[in-house]
Amino acid sequence: MNKSETTSTEPRLNELEAHLAGTLKRVPPRRDFVQRLRSYIHFPPREEIATRLHDWRKLFIIFGSVVSGMLLLITVARALYHLFGRRNMG
Amino acid sequence: MPELEFNEDEVLLLASRGDREAFGLLYERYIDRIFNYVYYRTGNLHDAEDITARVFQRAMSHIRSYTDRGVPFSAWLYRIAHNLVANWHRDRSRKQEIPLDDLPLASAKVDRPEATLMRSQEQDALLRLIRQLPAERQTLLILKFVEDLSNAEIGRIMGRSEGAVKSLYHRTLLALRDQIGDQNINLEGE
Repeated sequence: MNKSETTSTEPRLNELEAHLAGTLKRVPPRRDFVQRLRSYIHFPPREEIATRLHDWRKLFIIFGSVVSGMLLLITVARALYHLFGRRNMG
Repeated sequence: MPELEFNEDEVLLLASRGDREAFGLLYERYIDRIFNYVYYRTGNLHDAEDITARVFQRAMSHIRSYTDRGVPFSAWLYRIAHNLVANWHRDRSRKQEIPLDDLPLASAKVDRPEATLMRSQEQDALLRLIRQLPAERQTLLILKFVEDLSNAEIGRIMGRSEGAVKSLYHRTLLALRDQIGDQNINLEGE
């Protein structure tokens, strides 16, 4: 028999739509699950922060910035010493 | 739950700049939809929660690279959900455990009796048939019946024209009807 022919067990399309509407109903997620995920979104756990710190590119930039800053401070300190320190000694 | 009123474009812009509160608003708007999509694609509440959480974690970590290409933000979320569900199915088929059709419904009943016990055997059978459909047809049915979206709205999410959605829907109904006939499922018994 041709499949498109309707038999006693094959519902008509409008009946099938009614069955689909009755079957595919919205299921609300559990409240504690929604709340837990909401908390995560607003306050990421420590693990995530740790994972971000493991990002090597960021670590390289941070390390580079710290070293550059220290070098700049040392240079400024040496310049000040040469300008004022020697004058005081003389 | 009533939908939160806000300008999605503005909130999206803030969220893409790293504003957690803005992302939180998007979360509140879409959590139910994404959860339902994943739930009906997997049929398992525990996995649906796990995958839904991962959808929003992934969305949050990639929101800075999100660009508005004229498709709704929900399409982006559904795409992430679709990919994660596809991975979930792949992992399960590799493990070759209990048949896919049986486990989700059985475990769903244990996880959430109030949500599933009201379902009749015919509805369970229909859900099993729906899960055997290709992913895009399942998505179409979920968006149409669970989310109550119009063909035009579904088209925007699925990246298809309204006519294409209408045609796909009709073919899906015919395929389902044939499957019901082949498997001798009687939907009149409700």
